Amino acid sequence: MQRILLVEDNEMNRDMLSRRLQRKGYEVIIALDGQQGVAMAQSRSPDLILMDMSLPVMDGWEATRALKSSPDTKEIPIIALTAHAMSTDREKAMEAGCDDYDTKPIELTRLLAKMETLIERFAKRTEKTASI
Amino acid sequence: MSEPPKHSEEAIQHKVPPNLLHDMRTPLGHILGYSELLIEQMREQGHEEFIPYLQKICKASRELLDTITDNFDSDGTPSGFRSGS
Repeated sequence: MQRILLVEDNEMNRDMLSRRLQRKGYEVIIALDGQQGVAMAQSRSPDLILMDMSLPVMDGWEATRALKSSPDTKEIPIIALTAHAMSTDREKAMEAGCDDYDTKPIELTRLLAKMETLIERFAKRTEKTASI
Repeated sequence: MSEPPKHSEEAIQHKVPPNLLHDMRTPLGHILGYSELLIEQMREQGHEEFIPYLQKICKASRELLDTITDNFDSDGTPSGFRSGS
């Protein structure tokens, strides 16, 4: 079962998205802010991270930069989630190191397609690294 | 210094705070997401009679979301008021 780390401070978003992902067969682990997200990515090694960008304590951009600069977590794909459909947000997320970007409200089919592409790519890269 | 075009002033007058748009989109996302979740569950549990009502909730939420998206840029400027437009 693929493990998804959902970093989200909004209780309803968290509940709704985690339920929908669990129904699609994913294991979902949850962090409530960026700092917790970084710690959980290190301790639980998820296959993918869904990162809300407007977060308390440490925002999603900072958390992404921290994850992408650590050898232990830099390969984990990160999809940025934000309610602001601004192109500058997309650019900011990609500059911080996110692998993809999606806007809220979530369109589940579209998000699942992005998740699958990145998880597959991550799995191939991990296999290759393991075989070296 | 040249005077700003009239539509810029109008845009400022009609601009809504971006946070307001965010605060409207977020609960709409909840309504949509939970309705879609319920549709899946009702279908699985054989409660087909509830599905048309839930689909109406989804449709109304999407229409409202489209209205926001079509009428305002993400920074709160009403669509059609951009410089040069």
